[in-house]
Amino acid sequence: MTNFYENIKDALSMLNGLEKDLNIRHFTPNELKVFYTIIIQSASSEGGSNITEIVDNSGMSRSTVYKTLKKLTNAGIIGLTQSPDDGRESLVTLNSIS
Amino acid sequence: MKNFFTVSLTSFVFSSALWIIWSFFVVQIEGNPNWLGSVFYLPHAARILCIVYFGWKAIPALFLAELWGPDFSIFDLESLINVIPALISVLSVPLALQTLDWFGFPLGNTSASPLNKRNYKHIALITMISAIYNSLFVNLMLTKFSMSSQEIGIDQIVRFFVGDMLGTTIVLMVLAMILNPIINSQKAKQSRSIHQ
Repeated sequence: MTNFYENIKDALSMLNGLEKDLNIRHFTPNELKVFYTIIIQSASSEGGSNITEIVDNSGMSRSTVYKTLKKLTNAGIIGLTQSPDDGRESLVTLNSIS
Repeated sequence: MKNFFTVSLTSFVFSSALWIIWSFFVVQIEGNPNWLGSVFYLPHAARILCIVYFGWKAIPALFLAELWGPDFSIFDLESLINVIPALISVLSVPLALQTLDWFGFPLGNTSASPLNKRNYKHIALITMISAIYNSLFVNLMLTKFSMSSQEIGIDQIVRFFVGDMLGTTIVLMVLAMILNPIINSQKAKQSRSIHQ
């Protein structure tokens, strides 16, 4: 049985390395939810994601979403640009995951 | 034969779980287009992880899960048609490991190992080679024995390759996130025992 657990430990170690390189460890579960919502929306929308849609789709409060966006912007993961359709609306663009 | 039962049970449950999750998504997209499911082929991750970490002992269980997986009925005569493609799919991983071994990259679990199972980049390399074998040999078999109802072209081979790669990537990323608390608690335990 020791060998079995050693193999599981090796697998966990590999996953640990992957998570470390993804650079997502310092995010809380709520922040991660917002982050993955942005990723999913970025895949389907050109030119950036609408913040109101991120709030709706993530199920998080507006303040949590804004805090997360600030954290992600400071980390250089996302960028905020002004919407060409509505000057009061900001669009979220994904820069990089790592 | 040590741990054979534990390894077989773990491999079968893990592989079956991925089959069920994958089938759920395939049902969700309502087979439109009918090839979309093969673009994120989650079950390939079970082949990779179980064979890389448990070795040959995982092969029989993975093969059984492979037969059971697509239709969830092993006694269905129709699923017996899948025997050879299923076997090829499972064996694509040991074949990839053997290929790397021939090129002087034997599998190990230390940073000094040419192919380190603790390094996800090395797992990605194994995934890529096995995906090439799987897409080529399975489609070759389907063409040779006219087992597919639709015409097999280069696009299907590429789709199988991309599907295996993407499916494994998705599973690894999700596992890395889900297993984070376990990894952290293990590390905390280790550091506590060092300090004591």
